Amino acid sequence: MTIWSSVWLTLQLAGIATALLLVIAMPLAWWLAVTNARIRPAVEALTAMPLVLPPTVLGFYLLILMSPGNPIGAFWVTLTGESLTFSFSGLVIASVFYSLPFAVQPLQGAFQSVGQGMMEAAATLGASRWDAFRSVALPLSRRGLLTAAVLSFAHTVGEFGVVLMVGGNIPGRTRLISIEIYSAVETLDYASAHLLSGGLLAFSFIVLTVVYVMNGRGVRAGV
Amino acid sequence: MSEFLDFDLTLRLGEFFLSAAAKIPLTGITALSGPSGSGKTTLLRAISGLEPAVEGRVHFAGDDWSDLGPEGRSVGYVFQDARLFPHLNVSENLRYGAVRRRIHQERIDVIVDALDLHPLLPRMPATLSGGEIRRVALGRALASGPRILLMDEPLSGLDQERKFRLMPYISRAVADFGVPALYVTHSTEELTFLADRTLAIQNGKLGGWSEVSPRLMGTVTHADRDGLELAVGSVSVRVPGQGRLGETWALLLGDDFLVSSESPGVSNAALSLRARVVETDEGRGQCIAEVENQRVALPWQCRKADLPDSDTVVWLSIPRVLARPVQSPPESKAGGHSGNLGVRT
Repeated sequence: MTIWSSVWLTLQLAGIATALLLVIAMPLAWWLAVTNARIRPAVEALTAMPLVLPPTVLGFYLLILMSPGNPIGAFWVTLTGESLTFSFSGLVIASVFYSLPFAVQPLQGAFQSVGQGMMEAAATLGASRWDAFRSVALPLSRRGLLTAAVLSFAHTVGEFGVVLMVGGNIPGRTRLISIEIYSAVETLDYASAHLLSGGLLAFSFIVLTVVYVMNGRGVRAGV
Repeated sequence: MSEFLDFDLTLRLGEFFLSAAAKIPLTGITALSGPSGSGKTTLLRAISGLEPAVEGRVHFAGDDWSDLGPEGRSVGYVFQDARLFPHLNVSENLRYGAVRRRIHQERIDVIVDALDLHPLLPRMPATLSGGEIRRVALGRALASGPRILLMDEPLSGLDQERKFRLMPYISRAVADFGVPALYVTHSTEELTFLADRTLAIQNGKLGGWSEVSPRLMGTVTHADRDGLELAVGSVSVRVPGQGRLGETWALLLGDDFLVSSESPGVSNAALSLRARVVETDEGRGQCIAEVENQRVALPWQCRKADLPDSDTVVWLSIPRVLARPVQSPPESKAGGHSGNLGVRT
Protein backbone atom coordinates (compact mmCIF):
# COMPACT_ATOMS: atom_id res chain seq x y z
CA MET A 1 0.00 0.00 0.00
CA THR A 2 1.50 3.31 -1.12
CA ILE A 3 0.75 5.16 2.13
CA TRP A 4 2.70 2.70 4.25
CA SER A 5 5.59 2.54 1.83
CA SER A 6 5.84 6.34 2.19
CA VAL A 7 5.80 6.03 5.99
CA TRP A 8 8.47 3.34 5.93
CA LEU A 9 10.61 5.32 3.47
CA THR A 10 10.29 8.45 5.62
CA LEU A 11 11.30 6.59 8.80
CA GLN A 12 14.29 5.05 7.00
CA LEU A 13 15.37 8.44 5.69
CA ALA A 14 14.94 10.14 9.08
CA GLY A 15 16.84 7.38 10.89
CA ILE A 16 19.80 7.37 8.50
CA ALA A 17 19.93 11.18 8.27
CA THR A 18 19.81 11.51 12.08
CA ALA A 19 22.67 9.06 12.54
CA LEU A 20 24.75 10.86 9.92
CA LEU A 21 23.84 14.25 11.37
CA LEU A 22 25.02 13.31 14.86
CA VAL A 23 28.34 12.07 13.50
CA ILE A 24 28.84 15.29 11.51
CA ALA A 25 27.34 17.71 14.01
CA MET A 26 29.23 16.54 17.09
CA PRO A 27 32.74 17.63 16.05
CA LEU A 28 31.34 20.73 14.32
CA ALA A 29 29.34 21.76 17.40
CA TRP A 30 32.33 21.09 19.68
CA TRP A 31 34.55 23.23 17.50
CA LEU A 32 31.97 26.04 17.46
CA ALA A 33 31.63 25.77 21.25
CA VAL A 34 35.33 26.05 22.08
CA THR A 35 36.99 27.99 19.27
CA ASN A 36 37.91 31.64 19.20
CA ALA A 37 38.72 31.49 15.49
CA ARG A 38 37.73 34.51 13.43
CA ILE A 39 35.82 32.37 10.96
CA ARG A 40 33.48 31.03 13.65
CA PRO A 41 30.63 33.50 12.94
CA ALA A 42 30.79 32.64 9.24
CA VAL A 43 30.67 28.91 9.97
CA GLU A 44 27.79 29.45 12.42
CA ALA A 45 25.91 31.44 9.79
CA LEU A 46 26.47 28.77 7.15
CA THR A 47 25.25 26.09 9.55
CA ALA A 48 22.13 28.06 10.43
CA MET A 49 21.20 29.05 6.86
CA PRO A 50 18.65 26.23 6.34
CA LEU A 51 16.64 27.85 9.16
CA VAL A 52 15.98 30.99 7.12
CA LEU A 53 16.38 29.94 3.50
CA PRO A 54 13.25 28.87 1.60
CA PRO A 55 13.54 25.08 1.21
CA THR A 56 13.16 25.50 -2.54
CA VAL A 57 16.32 27.62 -2.68
CA LEU A 58 18.33 25.03 -0.79
CA GLY A 59 16.72 22.29 -2.86
CA PHE A 60 17.50 24.10 -6.11
CA TYR A 61 21.21 24.46 -5.35
CA LEU A 62 21.46 20.89 -4.04
CA LEU A 63 19.78 19.70 -7.24
CA ILE A 64 22.36 21.59 -9.31
CA LEU A 65 25.25 20.23 -7.22
CA MET A 66 23.99 16.65 -7.37
CA SER A 67 23.15 16.57 -11.03
CA PRO A 68 25.40 14.29 -13.15
CA GLY A 69 26.54 17.34 -15.14
CA ASN A 70 28.25 18.71 -12.00
CA PRO A 71 31.61 17.32 -10.76
CA ILE A 72 30.09 16.17 -7.45
CA GLY A 73 27.13 14.49 -9.10
CA ALA A 74 29.38 13.00 -11.79
CA PHE A 75 31.75 11.62 -9.15
CA TRP A 76 28.81 9.94 -7.42
CA VAL A 77 27.68 8.37 -10.69
CA THR A 78 31.24 7.06 -11.26
CA LEU A 79 31.31 5.68 -7.73
CA THR A 80 27.89 4.03 -7.53
CA GLY A 81 26.57 3.85 -11.07
CA GLU A 82 23.42 5.83 -10.25
CA SER A 83 22.53 9.50 -10.10
CA LEU A 84 22.15 11.34 -6.80
CA THR A 85 19.17 13.27 -8.06
CA PHE A 86 15.81 11.58 -7.70
CA SER A 87 17.35 8.84 -5.54
CA PHE A 88 17.13 7.85 -1.89
CA SER A 89 20.87 8.64 -1.45
CA GLY A 90 20.25 12.15 -2.72
CA LEU A 91 17.42 12.54 -0.24
CA VAL A 92 19.74 11.51 2.59
CA ILE A 93 22.35 14.09 1.61
CA ALA A 94 19.73 16.82 1.15
CA SER A 95 18.20 15.98 4.53
CA VAL A 96 21.57 16.20 6.24
CA PHE A 97 22.08 19.72 4.87
CA TYR A 98 18.52 20.76 5.60
CA SER A 99 18.45 19.50 9.20
CA LEU A 100 22.03 20.44 10.13
CA PRO A 101 21.12 23.40 12.38
CA PHE A 102 18.66 21.24 14.30
CA ALA A 103 21.54 18.95 15.26
CA VAL A 104 24.35 21.50 15.65
CA GLN A 105 22.61 24.16 17.69
CA PRO A 106 21.40 22.02 20.66
CA LEU A 107 24.78 20.28 20.75
CA GLN A 108 26.70 23.54 20.61
CA GLY A 109 24.63 24.96 23.47
CA ALA A 110 25.14 21.81 25.52
CA PHE A 111 28.90 21.79 24.93
CA GLN A 112 29.13 25.47 25.82
CA SER A 113 27.32 24.87 29.10
CA VAL A 114 29.80 22.12 30.03
CA GLY A 115 32.48 24.81 30.01
CA GLN A 116 36.23 24.67 29.74
CA GLY A 117 36.51 24.33 33.52
CA MET A 118 35.34 20.72 33.52
CA MET A 119 37.70 19.86 30.67
CA GLU A 120 40.58 21.45 32.58
CA ALA A 121 39.71 19.48 35.69
CA ALA A 122 39.74 16.27 33.65
CA ALA A 123 43.10 17.20 32.10
CA THR A 124 44.73 17.76 35.50
CA LEU A 125 43.43 14.32 36.49
CA GLY A 126 45.31 12.69 33.62
CA ALA A 127 42.65 12.62 30.89
CA SER A 128 43.66 13.29 27.28
CA ARG A 129 41.44 15.64 25.24
CA TRP A 130 39.53 12.78 23.63
CA ASP A 131 39.18 11.01 26.96
CA ALA A 132 37.91 14.20 28.62
CA PHE A 133 35.42 14.72 25.76
CA ARG A 134 34.19 11.13 25.97
CA SER A 135 34.06 10.85 29.78
CA VAL A 136 33.02 14.39 30.77
CA ALA A 137 31.74 16.59 27.94
CA LEU A 138 29.59 13.95 26.26
CA PRO A 139 27.81 12.63 29.37
CA LEU A 140 27.20 16.18 30.57
CA SER A 141 25.74 17.02 27.15
CA ARG A 142 23.47 13.99 26.92
CA ARG A 143 20.34 16.12 27.07
CA GLY A 144 21.62 18.26 24.20
CA LEU A 145 22.50 15.09 22.33
CA LEU A 146 19.00 13.67 22.79
CA THR A 147 17.41 16.97 21.81
CA ALA A 148 19.58 17.12 18.68
CA ALA A 149 18.65 13.56 17.73
CA VAL A 150 14.92 14.05 18.32
CA LEU A 151 14.73 17.40 16.50
CA SER A 152 16.81 16.14 13.57
CA PHE A 153 14.60 13.09 13.21
CA ALA A 154 11.37 15.07 13.50
CA HIS A 155 12.53 17.79 11.13
CA THR A 156 13.56 15.22 8.51
CA VAL A 157 10.21 13.48 8.83
CA GLY A 158 8.42 16.76 8.13
CA GLU A 159 10.53 18.15 5.26
CA PHE A 160 8.87 18.85 1.93
CA GLY A 161 10.37 21.51 -0.31
CA VAL A 162 13.94 20.27 -0.40
CA VAL A 163 13.03 16.63 -0.91
CA LEU A 164 10.54 17.47 -3.63
CA MET A 165 13.22 19.46 -5.49
CA VAL A 166 15.96 16.85 -5.09
CA GLY A 167 13.98 13.62 -5.04
CA GLY A 168 10.84 14.32 -6.98
CA ASN A 169 7.83 12.12 -6.38
CA ILE A 170 8.73 8.51 -7.21
CA PRO A 171 6.53 6.00 -5.32
CA GLY A 172 8.57 3.66 -3.13
CA ARG A 173 11.76 5.52 -3.90
CA THR A 174 11.48 9.21 -3.07
CA ARG A 175 7.82 9.69 -2.17
CA LEU A 176 7.92 10.64 1.51
CA ILE A 177 4.94 11.27 3.82
CA SER A 178 4.82 15.00 3.12
CA ILE A 179 4.85 14.40 -0.65
CA GLU A 180 2.28 11.63 -0.27
CA ILE A 181 -0.03 14.11 1.49
CA TYR A 182 0.50 16.62 -1.33
CA SER A 183 -0.29 13.96 -3.94
CA ALA A 184 -3.34 12.78 -1.98
CA VAL A 185 -4.77 16.28 -1.83
CA GLU A 186 -4.11 16.81 -5.52
CA THR A 187 -6.06 13.66 -6.33
CA LEU A 188 -8.78 14.57 -3.78
CA ASP A 189 -7.92 11.50 -1.66
CA TYR A 190 -8.75 13.33 1.56
CA ALA A 191 -8.95 10.16 3.64
CA SER A 192 -5.28 9.40 3.05
CA ALA A 193 -4.36 13.07 3.50
CA HIS A 194 -6.22 13.15 6.84
CA LEU A 195 -4.60 9.97 8.03
CA LEU A 196 -1.07 11.09 7.22
CA SER A 197 -1.53 14.71 8.30
CA GLY A 198 -3.12 13.69 11.59
CA GLY A 199 -0.30 11.24 12.16
CA LEU A 200 2.34 13.92 11.55
CA LEU A 201 0.46 16.35 13.79
CA ALA A 202 0.40 13.88 16.68
CA PHE A 203 4.01 12.88 16.02
CA SER A 204 5.19 16.52 16.11
CA PHE A 205 3.28 17.21 19.32
CA ILE A 206 4.71 14.15 21.06
CA VAL A 207 8.25 14.89 19.92
CA LEU A 208 8.14 18.50 21.10
CA THR A 209 6.61 17.46 24.43
CA VAL A 210 9.41 14.93 24.91
CA VAL A 211 12.03 17.62 24.17
CA TYR A 212 10.46 20.07 26.63
CA VAL A 213 10.15 17.40 29.34
CA MET A 214 13.82 16.49 28.88
CA ASN A 215 14.90 20.10 29.08
CA GLY A 216 12.71 20.69 32.14
CA ARG A 217 14.31 17.75 33.93
CA GLY A 218 17.72 19.11 33.04
CA VAL A 219 16.92 22.46 34.60
CA ARG A 220 15.57 20.87 37.80
CA ALA A 221 18.56 18.55 38.09
CA GLY A 222 20.92 21.46 37.54
CA VAL A 223 22.67 19.64 34.70
CA MET B 1 68.24 15.16 42.22
CA SER B 2 66.89 18.67 42.71
CA GLU B 3 64.11 18.68 45.33
CA PHE B 4 62.56 21.85 44.04
CA LEU B 5 59.80 23.02 41.82
CA ASP B 6 61.92 25.28 39.67
CA PHE B 7 60.20 27.56 37.18
CA ASP B 8 60.83 30.64 35.09
CA LEU B 9 57.63 31.64 33.30
CA THR B 10 56.23 34.57 31.36
CA LEU B 11 52.70 34.99 30.09
CA ARG B 12 50.77 37.88 28.60
CA LEU B 13 46.98 37.87 28.96
CA GLY B 14 45.69 41.13 27.50
CA GLU B 15 46.95 43.93 29.75
CA PHE B 16 48.21 41.52 32.41
CA PHE B 17 51.81 40.32 32.28
CA LEU B 18 53.12 37.49 34.45
CA SER B 19 56.86 37.13 34.89
CA ALA B 20 57.75 34.73 37.67
CA ALA B 21 60.79 32.64 38.54
CA ALA B 22 61.42 30.74 41.76
CA LYS B 23 62.70 27.52 43.28
CA ILE B 24 60.15 26.14 45.68
CA PRO B 25 61.19 23.41 48.14
CA LEU B 26 59.18 20.22 47.71
CA THR B 27 58.21 19.83 51.36
CA GLY B 28 55.18 21.00 53.27
CA ILE B 29 52.88 23.80 52.19
CA THR B 30 54.17 26.81 50.30
CA ALA B 31 51.65 29.62 50.33
CA LEU B 32 51.40 31.95 47.36
CA SER B 33 49.88 35.11 48.67
CA GLY B 34 48.94 38.43 47.14
CA PRO B 35 46.02 40.76 46.48
CA SER B 36 43.25 39.97 44.01
CA GLY B 37 44.43 40.24 40.42
CA SER B 38 48.10 39.82 41.37
CA GLY B 39 48.50 36.67 39.27
CA LYS B 40 48.29 33.92 41.88
CA THR B 41 45.83 31.78 39.94
CA THR B 42 47.51 32.53 36.62
CA LEU B 43 50.86 31.34 38.01
CA LEU B 44 49.28 28.17 39.34
CA ARG B 45 47.62 27.51 35.97
CA ALA B 46 50.89 28.17 34.16
CA ILE B 47 52.72 25.69 36.39
CA SER B 48 50.02 23.07 35.85
CA GLY B 49 50.10 23.45 32.06
CA LEU B 50 46.61 24.95 31.78
CA GLU B 51 47.88 28.12 30.09
CA PRO B 52 48.93 27.16 26.55
CA ALA B 53 50.35 30.61 25.77
CA VAL B 54 52.90 30.53 28.60
CA GLU B 55 56.59 30.72 27.77
CA GLY B 56 59.50 29.50 29.84
CA ARG B 57 60.34 26.36 31.78
CA VAL B 58 59.01 24.26 34.64
CA HIS B 59 61.18 21.62 36.28
CA PHE B 60 59.86 19.35 38.99
CA ALA B 61 62.56 17.60 41.02
CA GLY B 62 64.78 17.74 37.98
CA ASP B 63 62.11 16.50 35.52
CA ASP B 64 61.36 18.88 32.68
CA TRP B 65 57.62 19.53 32.50
CA SER B 66 57.88 22.48 30.12
CA ASP B 67 56.58 20.68 27.04
CA LEU B 68 54.00 18.51 28.79
CA GLY B 69 50.27 19.17 28.82
CA PRO B 70 48.38 19.22 32.13
CA GLU B 71 47.53 15.52 31.79
CA GLY B 72 51.24 14.63 31.80
CA ARG B 73 52.41 16.78 34.71
CA SER B 74 51.28 14.73 37.74
CA VAL B 75 49.74 17.71 39.47
CA GLY B 76 46.73 17.50 41.75
CA TYR B 77 44.86 20.72 41.05
CA VAL B 78 42.24 21.78 43.58
CA PHE B 79 40.20 24.48 41.89
CA GLN B 80 38.61 27.40 43.70
CA ASP B 81 35.21 26.25 42.44
CA ALA B 82 36.02 22.56 43.08
CA ARG B 83 34.83 21.44 39.61
CA LEU B 84 33.55 18.06 40.72
CA PHE B 85 32.01 16.18 37.81
CA PRO B 86 28.25 16.55 38.37
CA HIS B 87 27.35 13.34 36.48
CA LEU B 88 29.55 11.16 38.70
CA ASN B 89 29.01 10.35 42.36
CA VAL B 90 31.71 11.04 44.93
CA SER B 91 33.22 7.59 44.61
CA GLU B 92 33.42 7.92 40.81
CA ASN B 93 34.87 11.40 41.11
CA LEU B 94 37.60 10.05 43.38
CA ARG B 95 38.38 7.21 40.98
CA TYR B 96 38.44 9.40 37.85
CA GLY B 97 42.09 10.45 38.16
CA ALA B 98 43.12 7.30 40.01
CA VAL B 99 42.05 5.05 37.12
CA ARG B 100 43.84 7.18 34.54
CA ARG B 101 47.06 7.31 36.53
CA ARG B 102 46.84 3.65 37.61
CA ILE B 103 46.61 4.37 41.32
CA HIS B 104 45.68 1.37 43.46
CA GLN B 105 42.35 1.19 45.24
CA GLU B 106 44.23 0.91 48.55
CA ARG B 107 45.45 4.47 48.21
CA ILE B 108 41.94 5.69 47.52
CA ASP B 109 40.74 3.86 50.63
CA VAL B 110 43.42 5.57 52.73
CA ILE B 111 42.42 8.97 51.33
CA VAL B 112 38.75 8.24 52.00
CA ASP B 113 39.64 7.45 55.62
CA ALA B 114 41.92 10.44 56.08
CA LEU B 115 39.35 12.90 54.75
CA ASP B 116 36.30 11.20 56.32
CA LEU B 117 34.69 10.69 52.93
CA HIS B 118 33.05 7.30 53.59
CA PRO B 119 29.51 8.58 54.14
CA LEU B 120 29.74 10.74 51.04
CA LEU B 121 30.83 8.06 48.55
CA PRO B 122 27.43 7.24 47.00
CA ARG B 123 26.23 10.84 46.93
CA MET B 124 26.10 13.11 43.88
CA PRO B 125 27.99 16.42 44.04
CA ALA B 126 24.75 18.44 43.82
CA THR B 127 23.73 17.07 47.23
CA LEU B 128 26.94 18.01 49.06
CA SER B 129 27.49 21.04 51.31
CA GLY B 130 30.21 23.59 50.53
CA GLY B 131 32.64 22.06 53.03
CA GLU B 132 31.98 18.52 51.77
CA ILE B 133 32.59 19.62 48.19
CA ARG B 134 36.01 21.03 49.18
CA ARG B 135 36.94 17.80 50.95
CA VAL B 136 35.95 15.69 47.94
CA ALA B 137 37.87 18.00 45.60
CA LEU B 138 40.98 17.59 47.78
CA GLY B 139 40.45 13.83 47.89
CA ARG B 140 40.01 13.61 44.12
CA ALA B 141 43.24 15.52 43.53
CA LEU B 142 45.13 13.33 46.03
CA ALA B 143 43.68 10.12 44.61
CA SER B 144 45.20 10.87 41.22
CA GLY B 145 48.63 10.27 42.75
CA PRO B 146 50.03 13.76 42.22
CA ARG B 147 53.64 14.72 42.85
CA ILE B 148 52.49 18.17 43.93
CA LEU B 149 49.15 19.67 44.98
CA LEU B 150 48.26 23.00 43.42
CA MET B 151 45.50 24.50 45.52
CA ASP B 152 43.75 27.63 44.31
CA GLU B 153 41.99 29.25 47.27
CA PRO B 154 40.32 25.94 48.10
CA LEU B 155 38.53 27.37 51.14
CA SER B 156 37.32 30.65 49.66
CA GLY B 157 33.71 31.49 50.32
CA LEU B 158 33.56 29.44 53.53
CA ASP B 159 32.97 31.01 56.92
CA GLN B 160 35.74 31.00 59.53
CA GLU B 161 34.34 28.09 61.49
CA ARG B 162 34.20 25.87 58.41
CA LYS B 163 37.69 26.96 57.41
CA PHE B 164 39.06 25.89 60.78
CA ARG B 165 37.24 22.57 60.43
CA LEU B 166 38.70 21.95 56.99
CA MET B 167 42.26 23.21 57.39
CA PRO B 168 43.35 20.19 59.48
CA TYR B 169 42.29 17.94 56.57
CA ILE B 170 44.61 19.86 54.24
CA SER B 171 47.56 19.78 56.62
CA ARG B 172 46.91 16.09 57.31
CA ALA B 173 46.76 15.31 53.60
CA VAL B 174 50.13 16.97 53.01
CA ALA B 175 51.66 15.37 56.11
CA ASP B 176 50.30 11.86 55.57
CA PHE B 177 50.78 11.51 51.84
CA GLY B 178 54.06 13.37 51.60
CA VAL B 179 52.77 15.50 48.73
CA PRO B 180 54.03 19.08 48.81
CA ALA B 181 51.48 21.79 48.13
CA LEU B 182 51.54 25.18 46.49
CA TYR B 183 48.62 26.95 48.13
CA VAL B 184 47.09 30.16 46.82
CA THR B 185 45.40 32.32 49.43
CA HIS B 186 45.10 35.81 50.77
CA SER B 187 43.50 34.68 54.00
CA THR B 188 45.48 35.44 57.15
CA GLU B 189 43.96 32.44 58.95
CA GLU B 190 45.01 30.06 56.22
CA LEU B 191 48.52 31.54 56.07
CA THR B 192 48.89 31.23 59.84
CA PHE B 193 47.54 27.71 60.04
CA LEU B 194 48.84 26.10 56.88
CA ALA B 195 51.87 27.85 55.46
CA ASP B 196 55.34 26.47 56.05
CA ARG B 197 56.64 29.33 53.96
CA THR B 198 55.03 32.16 52.06
CA LEU B 199 55.87 33.55 48.65
CA ALA B 200 54.37 36.94 47.86
CA ILE B 201 53.14 37.97 44.42
CA GLN B 202 52.02 41.34 43.15
CA ASN B 203 51.26 42.68 39.67
CA GLY B 204 52.40 39.42 38.11
CA LYS B 205 55.81 39.47 39.79
CA LEU B 206 57.03 37.45 42.74
CA GLY B 207 57.96 39.59 45.72
CA GLY B 208 60.18 37.18 47.63
CA TRP B 209 59.69 35.00 50.67
CA SER B 210 58.02 36.40 53.75
CA GLU B 211 58.04 35.32 57.36
CA VAL B 212 55.75 32.52 58.47
CA SER B 213 53.89 32.79 61.73
CA PRO B 214 56.04 31.51 64.59
CA ARG B 215 55.49 27.91 65.61
CA LEU B 216 56.95 25.32 67.92
CA MET B 217 57.41 21.71 66.98
CA GLY B 218 56.08 18.97 69.24
CA THR B 219 55.44 15.26 69.33
CA VAL B 220 52.08 13.59 69.91
CA THR B 221 52.24 11.67 73.20
CA HIS B 222 48.54 10.91 73.62
CA ALA B 223 45.61 10.92 71.21
CA ASP B 224 41.91 10.39 71.78
CA ARG B 225 38.65 11.31 70.09
CA ASP B 226 38.60 14.80 71.56
CA GLY B 227 42.13 15.86 70.74
CA LEU B 228 45.69 15.07 71.58
CA GLU B 229 48.56 15.84 73.92
CA LEU B 230 51.55 17.46 72.33
CA ALA B 231 54.92 17.39 74.07
CA VAL B 232 56.76 20.62 73.30
CA GLY B 233 60.01 20.12 75.17
CA SER B 234 59.04 19.61 78.76
CA VAL B 235 55.61 21.21 78.31
CA SER B 236 52.56 19.14 77.52
CA VAL B 237 49.89 20.97 75.53
CA ARG B 238 46.35 19.80 74.88
CA VAL B 239 45.39 20.63 71.28
CA PRO B 240 42.33 19.95 69.11
CA GLY B 241 42.63 17.58 66.15
CA GLN B 242 43.11 13.94 65.30
CA GLY B 243 46.63 12.58 65.35
CA ARG B 244 48.71 9.50 65.92
CA LEU B 245 51.29 8.78 68.61
CA GLY B 246 54.78 9.90 67.67
CA GLU B 247 53.65 12.27 64.92
CA THR B 248 55.32 15.65 64.60
CA TRP B 249 52.94 18.57 64.95
CA ALA B 250 53.47 22.30 64.77
CA LEU B 251 52.06 24.36 67.62
CA LEU B 252 51.05 27.59 65.91
CA LEU B 253 51.60 30.73 67.94
CA GLY B 254 49.57 32.79 65.49
CA ASP B 255 49.84 36.54 65.19
CA ASP B 256 47.91 37.62 68.26
CA PHE B 257 50.07 36.27 71.10
CA LEU B 258 51.30 38.60 73.81
CA VAL B 259 54.88 38.87 75.03
CA SER B 260 55.46 40.15 78.55
CA SER B 261 58.52 40.52 80.67
CA GLU B 262 56.73 39.23 83.75
CA SER B 263 54.86 36.00 84.31
CA PRO B 264 51.21 36.52 83.43
CA GLY B 265 50.21 34.36 86.40
CA VAL B 266 46.56 33.43 86.17
CA SER B 267 45.26 34.78 82.84
CA ASN B 268 42.69 34.12 80.14
CA ALA B 269 45.41 32.91 77.80
CA ALA B 270 44.97 29.37 76.57
CA LEU B 271 48.69 28.74 76.99
CA SER B 272 51.63 30.59 78.59
CA LEU B 273 55.19 29.65 77.74
CA ARG B 274 58.44 30.83 79.26
CA ALA B 275 61.04 32.03 76.77
CA ARG B 276 64.55 33.42 76.81
CA VAL B 277 65.61 36.15 74.42
CA VAL B 278 68.64 35.01 72.45
CA GLU B 279 69.14 37.96 70.16
CA THR B 280 67.28 41.00 68.95
CA ASP B 281 66.91 42.33 65.44
CA GLU B 282 66.03 46.00 65.58
CA GLY B 283 65.90 46.34 61.80
CA ARG B 284 63.11 43.78 61.51
CA GLY B 285 61.56 44.68 64.86
CA GLN B 286 61.80 41.18 66.19
CA CYS B 287 63.65 39.14 68.71
CA ILE B 288 64.79 35.56 68.51
CA ALA B 289 63.67 33.69 71.58
CA GLU B 290 64.36 30.21 72.80
CA VAL B 291 61.29 28.33 73.96
CA GLU B 292 61.70 24.77 75.18
CA ASN B 293 65.03 24.51 73.34
CA GLN B 294 63.49 25.77 70.08
CA ARG B 295 64.18 29.10 68.49
CA VAL B 296 61.34 31.25 67.24
CA ALA B 297 61.26 34.73 65.76
CA LEU B 298 58.84 36.92 67.68
CA PRO B 299 57.69 40.20 66.20
CA TRP B 300 58.13 42.85 68.86
CA GLN B 301 55.26 45.23 68.74
CA CYS B 302 56.64 47.98 71.01
CA ARG B 303 59.08 50.73 70.11
CA LYS B 304 62.61 49.78 69.22
CA ALA B 305 63.85 51.05 72.58
CA ASP B 306 61.72 48.43 74.26
CA LEU B 307 63.36 45.49 72.57
CA PRO B 308 64.57 43.31 75.40
CA ASP B 309 68.21 42.56 76.03
CA SER B 310 69.63 39.16 75.31
CA ASP B 311 69.10 36.58 78.03
CA THR B 312 65.98 38.39 79.24
CA VAL B 313 63.25 36.00 80.29
CA VAL B 314 59.85 36.73 78.71
CA TRP B 315 56.46 34.99 78.68
CA LEU B 316 54.37 34.20 75.63
CA SER B 317 50.63 34.24 76.21
CA ILE B 318 48.73 32.48 73.42
CA PRO B 319 45.00 33.18 73.29
CA ARG B 320 44.05 30.15 71.20
CA VAL B 321 45.84 26.83 70.84
CA LEU B 322 46.12 25.72 67.22
CA ALA B 323 48.26 22.89 65.96
CA ARG B 324 48.59 20.81 62.83
CA PRO B 325 50.57 17.82 61.62
CA VAL B 326 53.57 18.60 59.46
CA GLN B 327 55.16 16.57 56.68
CA SER B 328 58.58 17.05 58.25
CA PRO B 329 59.83 19.67 60.66
CA PRO B 330 60.01 22.85 58.63
CA GLU B 331 63.21 24.81 58.70
CA SER B 332 64.02 25.47 62.34
CA LYS B 333 65.93 28.55 61.36
CA ALA B 334 64.12 31.48 62.92
CA GLY B 335 62.23 33.54 60.38
CA GLY B 336 61.70 30.73 57.91
CA HIS B 337 62.96 31.24 54.36
CA SER B 338 64.66 34.56 54.31
CA GLY B 339 67.44 33.20 52.13
CA ASN B 340 67.56 33.33 48.35
CA LEU B 341 65.52 30.55 46.76
CA GLY B 342 65.92 31.82 43.26
CA VAL B 343 62.97 34.20 43.32
CA ARG B 344 63.06 36.76 40.53
CA THR B 345 61.63 39.92 42.02
